[in-house]
Amino acid sequence: MKKMFIMASLYIAIVSCTKVSDDPAGSFLTGSGVFIINEGNFRWGNGSLSFYSYDSSKIYNDLFLNINDRPLGDVPNSMNIIDDKAYIVVNNSGKIEVINLNTLESIKTINGLISPRNISFVNNNKAYVTSMYSDSVAIINLLDNSISDYINLRRSSEAVIISANKAFISNWIGGNEVMVVNVENNEVIDSIEVGQEPESMILDKNNKLWVLCNGGWTRDYYAELDVINTLTNSIEKTFVFPNKQTSPLCLRIDGNGETLYYLESGVRQMNIDASDLPSAPLISESEHYFYNLAINPVSSDIFITDAVDYSQQGYVLYYKKDGTLISIQEAGIIPGFMSFKLNDNFQVE
Amino acid sequence: MPLHGQLSSYSDTINIKEVVISRKRLNSYTAGFKKVTIDSSVLLNHNHGTLADLLEDNSTIFIKSYGLGGTALPSFRGTGSNHTQIAWNDININHPMLGQSDLSLIPVGFIDDIDIYYGGASMGLNSGGIGGIINLKTKPVWKKETLISVNPGIGSYGKYSGLVKVKSGNNHFQSVTKAFLQSSENDFSYLNSDVSSEPVWEKRLNSQVRQRGFIQELYFRKTKKILSARLWYQSAYRNLPSSMLSQQINSGEKQFDESLRTMLNYNLDRGRFDYFLTGSWMLNRLNYTNQLASIDSRNLSEALVIKTGLGSRLGESITLKVILNEEVNVIKSNNYKQNETRNNASITASAERNGNNRVSAMILIREIFDNNVLLIPDFSAGFQFRLIDAKEYFLKANISRNSKIPTMNDLFWLPGGNSELLNEYAFIYELSYDMKQKISPGFDVHYNLSVFRNTIKDMIQWHPGEYSYWTSDNIQNVNSTGLESSLSVDYRLNKISSEFIAGYSYTKATTVSSYNNNDIHIGKQLMYVPENQVNASLRMNNHNLYFSWVSNLVGRRYITVDNSGYLPHYFLNNITSGFKFNLRGNSLDINFTVNNLFGVNYQTIAYYPLPGRSYSIKILYIISK
Repeated sequence: MKKMFIMASLYIAIVSCTKVSDDPAGSFLTGSGVFIINEGNFRWGNGSLSFYSYDSSKIYNDLFLNINDRPLGDVPNSMNIIDDKAYIVVNNSGKIEVINLNTLESIKTINGLISPRNISFVNNNKAYVTSMYSDSVAIINLLDNSISDYINLRRSSEAVIISANKAFISNWIGGNEVMVVNVENNEVIDSIEVGQEPESMILDKNNKLWVLCNGGWTRDYYAELDVINTLTNSIEKTFVFPNKQTSPLCLRIDGNGETLYYLESGVRQMNIDASDLPSAPLISESEHYFYNLAINPVSSDIFITDAVDYSQQGYVLYYKKDGTLISIQEAGIIPGFMSFKLNDNFQVE
Repeated sequence: MPLHGQLSSYSDTINIKEVVISRKRLNSYTAGFKKVTIDSSVLLNHNHGTLADLLEDNSTIFIKSYGLGGTALPSFRGTGSNHTQIAWNDININHPMLGQSDLSLIPVGFIDDIDIYYGGASMGLNSGGIGGIINLKTKPVWKKETLISVNPGIGSYGKYSGLVKVKSGNNHFQSVTKAFLQSSENDFSYLNSDVSSEPVWEKRLNSQVRQRGFIQELYFRKTKKILSARLWYQSAYRNLPSSMLSQQINSGEKQFDESLRTMLNYNLDRGRFDYFLTGSWMLNRLNYTNQLASIDSRNLSEALVIKTGLGSRLGESITLKVILNEEVNVIKSNNYKQNETRNNASITASAERNGNNRVSAMILIREIFDNNVLLIPDFSAGFQFRLIDAKEYFLKANISRNSKIPTMNDLFWLPGGNSELLNEYAFIYELSYDMKQKISPGFDVHYNLSVFRNTIKDMIQWHPGEYSYWTSDNIQNVNSTGLESSLSVDYRLNKISSEFIAGYSYTKATTVSSYNNNDIHIGKQLMYVPENQVNASLRMNNHNLYFSWVSNLVGRRYITVDNSGYLPHYFLNNITSGFKFNLRGNSLDINFTVNNLFGVNYQTIAYYPLPGRSYSIKILYIISK
């Protein structure tokens, strides 16, 4: 009887006639490439996982579904890699999918999270997961992939960066603070007031924390790029964007920790020692709708996602570091966060 | 699908002879157009259900449902839910902010008859129903009698419902009072194969509904005049369940809907001309809270509608009509920058040649003033040819231009509302063959075949804007083309009566152009519009016993714009059986229903499960004095 129900379930299960990989053995997974997290539409459950392979110069779509026979979930938001495991944070499903990095087979699903956004590894045993709608950051025990505890920030959280024995956690929606947590005892030790809605953060080669505050959607504030000294928890420098209509996103940095990139009417590039914000984009947006950005830490290749109209399959645009377009290929619906998987033998062409 | 059968389970106990439908003449707009009535006998079987359930079983209007208790929206001939208008005694009751009605909130027990106006036929009633209009009617029975009906029910998933009706009056005065209560846990089990490698049985959580409603109707009749007053209050508290893919702790999503609708109507029929005046004031409250996301959305809308019309007959078959409609909307919402109002007026003139002629025709022209802006006039023209004298074989053709003004949310929602929006408009073409044949006394056949084409221009769509939020714009042109075919057979012999109805519809709805020239979904079937739908029902009545079997097959619905993903077809079967007694002039009826007889696991919205087999039992006791 149970089998019958299972068969019936499979019969009615949502059929997704997506392209089957033309590399059935999945050999592309052993090479270097970029994982693309396709968010899909809120509540439609059409988020997915893609991979751009440097070996074949192709994008392989719907990998999680094809390999695990179930959808990835509702609005996967980000991914982070530690050793041979990848952690995919699925926002509106309230879960993290832990998968084997080389086979993409599911290892475990961590359920019970409230609107999780990003995961950052404190060490080999512990990770922090931020939350858009709860006041707490979840602590994940990486040994058994379970929620071990929470840190009450009393505010929602978005980006998280670990530096030495501190975690810097931004309070994005409606907020203007970066909270500082002691990773030894998981206690909040400080807060730093920054610009409105700190959306993304990176650490440069000098251990300075760069915080991109996009000003909020109501456009009542100017967007800011703030530089924080991670030793003193104080702002050292602030770049204010020229008008309130400017809404920069997705602050990234190259592998050397010297060159910043972000989205603002195209891709902007800026040296960490620059005295002003860049006046012109390195890559203009033209007919695309740039949605997310990633920089290869070894080659500084630039990968940009194009969400098109937020309903059809989006695209991944691959540029060399000088802004030369290499390829545009179809990914899933609303391709967003990207995460590099680079083997030791990865070479800069 | 025609549902004109006269099979009534209650014909022994309630003698419905003298029925007056208000403004019958002014709205007898049928020459060349398609209108279908779902009569009271069909409604009776669904009187504890919602309008969504009823239409799902008895029409080819596709219902997109978020599950038991969840929002249920209609898709009519491939159009969106805001292209289907719900009217109450000819007055538009769509929510002015959303431009649509949640059919899960409308209890069938409050309605006496339903007229479905397909495509251009809706022009005779109101503007904006590009897909069509579903007109919910309440009406008196002019008879000196008092009827009290008590109708409790109990069903699966913690459903308790009760409907009480009191009808009293004489040939000059009628009072109708109806009250409805429903409480349902909706905690059905479903097999979830989308969250782990092995399918797991899960129970639907946070899906409770508490609903109550009340209607009071008063009718006065004197010679050729009818005056009526109606009041309809209802409210619904709902917990909103999350998708099957969400494994997070209950988000605390809730919705409270409350509406108060009032209507005054005066109707005068002097033979050569008839006249009506209707005034309606409606209040809708919609509060949505999401504890997790700290959303507390409070929305209050008021609508004042005044509608008046004059019809004049020239000779035996020609009717001229003029109808004026004035509607004022006032919205108070914490999602708008400020309180917003809208004043919308229209004047409609029509001429119709009808009757028993071989050739009937109708022409209508409408001018709309939207906040003092004059829109391009709409029109409608129908032609009907009787193939054989005195026989009910008709060829019908019609063409219409129908405008739909933007919803208040399209205009004023913060962020993204666009006050510069143009109205949408559509050209609607329809050709049909309609045949009614009496094979023998007690044996009637009705067949209809229609083909239609809608071309919707300047369709409003929300799309990503410049500042990380979506905005509304006139950016799409959409075509829907299709075919509808239906057959109904009535057979009566002595105390046995039976009715068989079957319908099929094919709908091809595609985007033909959009703001994005490289749009890959141009030419693809619109999401959640099934190409194929079939339904069939058999209803039988033998003295005190009755039985019905309703089947509904819905084809594949795409869930991605490029048609790469879809929900597979489903086939549902519902059966109802009951028996009734006469108890010294009163009647007792007990019926038992099995919905989804074969326990099909299905969804109409992806990842929002619907229940398997469920049962309900209802008792109807009618005291007649």
